[in-house]
Amino acid sequence: MLLQVIVSGIATGCIYSLMALGLTLIYKSTEHVNFAQGEMAMISGFLAFTFFQFLRFPVALSLILSLLCSVLLGLLMERLLIRPAITAPHFNIFIITLGASIVMQSFAGLVWSYDQFPFPTLFPNKNIILGVVRLNTVTLGIIGTTGLLMLTLFLFFKYTKIGTAMRAVSQSQNAALLMGINVKRSFALTWAISGLVSGIAALLIAPVIFLSTRMGLVVINGFAAAILGGWGSIPGAVLGGIALGVLENVAPYYFPSQIRNIIPFAVLVGVLVIKPTGIIGEERRRRV
Amino acid sequence: MLEVEKVDTYYGKVQALKGVSLKVEEKDIVTLLGANGAGKTTTLRTISGLIPPAKGVIRFLGERIDNKSPEKIVRRGISHVPEGRDLFPDLTVDENLAMGAYTRKNRHEVQDSIARVFNSFSILKIRRKQHAGTLSGGEQQMLAIGRALMSNPRLILLDEPSLGLAPLLVNEIFKIIREINQEGTTILLVEQNANMALQVARYGYVLETGKVALQDQTERLLEDQHVRETYLGLKREGRKSSCFSR
Repeated sequence: MLLQVIVSGIATGCIYSLMALGLTLIYKSTEHVNFAQGEMAMISGFLAFTFFQFLRFPVALSLILSLLCSVLLGLLMERLLIRPAITAPHFNIFIITLGASIVMQSFAGLVWSYDQFPFPTLFPNKNIILGVVRLNTVTLGIIGTTGLLMLTLFLFFKYTKIGTAMRAVSQSQNAALLMGINVKRSFALTWAISGLVSGIAALLIAPVIFLSTRMGLVVINGFAAAILGGWGSIPGAVLGGIALGVLENVAPYYFPSQIRNIIPFAVLVGVLVIKPTGIIGEERRRRV
Repeated sequence: MLEVEKVDTYYGKVQALKGVSLKVEEKDIVTLLGANGAGKTTTLRTISGLIPPAKGVIRFLGERIDNKSPEKIVRRGISHVPEGRDLFPDLTVDENLAMGAYTRKNRHEVQDSIARVFNSFSILKIRRKQHAGTLSGGEQQMLAIGRALMSNPRLILLDEPSLGLAPLLVNEIFKIIREINQEGTTILLVEQNANMALQVARYGYVLETGKVALQDQTERLLEDQHVRETYLGLKREGRKSSCFSR
């Protein structure tokens, strides 16, 4: 059923959206590109695994603890790696995060080995039959959780004072300083939120693709999604992720299945040729 | 109220201020004149804590504020309207004003301030849900001043409020500056438009290549030969001016 394929594509796309969102949040407020986003997610997944597999914590508690750790990881990254290099060119910061991603991946390999592990899900694994469509509850859980997270983030950025201040910082650091906004704290908070988002992405996808040190590679799809939607645009990140996920799942429905990794990137290149700013990206405008 | 004493400020290795001293008395309007690159904006940025001075002392209400963070300086009652307005273009007018009140906790007082800003700048009330980036130049300048008023400052630093505005709007902005001052806020005004600045201010400093070259009551600066020639574009009386004279 095509509809079924589309729904599972949306679920995959949600994961890409979350990765893209994590990247975009950091980029928008600090103009830094965090290549370690995927590895941050992977570490969160392994921490959760450690909590319930070795320490025998209940699953729900393990997941919550691992999310706290992903917030902490985001804060640590900002404090230990990014802030000391705050005056360095953006490219240097990109290399720092690339280095961090390699370190994290090797660290995870040393501690947890390079094997794949099954990962539990909070959602019951059942099929719901709606007319002719069979929907898997895990798929729906991924979509629902992502939707809820996006809504929460939207409300936070739109209606809270701190959220508005974070948007202000992303538009002018100079003016934000003059308003009495603590710009450093705002950066730290951005990394914390980004860590949380990637942690949630890890917990959602690990049950589907298994837990492994290579999980962090999902950041590539996150980049593709963010660029497809329009680099630097939050709605663009969400839309780009879902578009990518749906394409990836629908393409094998019509073509040989090896095409699934080609089609999304072919479309990405195509979109960028026609509209270099992405689907809903806009020209970066600088006002005087 | 504000005392700047022998302040040196550097941008990297370039020295932008060389021993600048100035004083602003409570409820006064003081202007800072000078050519491009003379150090006017740097002086304001040093006072508001955006660039820490390498040397010298800055006191506000008797307490030292040099090497304090901009956040702490805003909380003490200095508000800076930066060069080129520097609004948050993708925030609405309301949100820009809310950010101006970022350091304040009491919601009722903040509401009062918003009402006061809308009272002074009625156009902003009509535009309150619009993004700041979509406003006209004059409206943006009004919003920048309104946003600075939201922190309920004792002293406002105004950097080139007339820049890029039509003459009619320039008059309007200067009228507003006078009104803000009459309500009890002290003003330190940086301007390229020396003529307007000297009319509205009581005391003036002339900056040249990072130093105070001249300071006096504005009536006397208006009479000063050097100021007349260099900043007001007036030639000596009784002599035919020509580009090729001298």
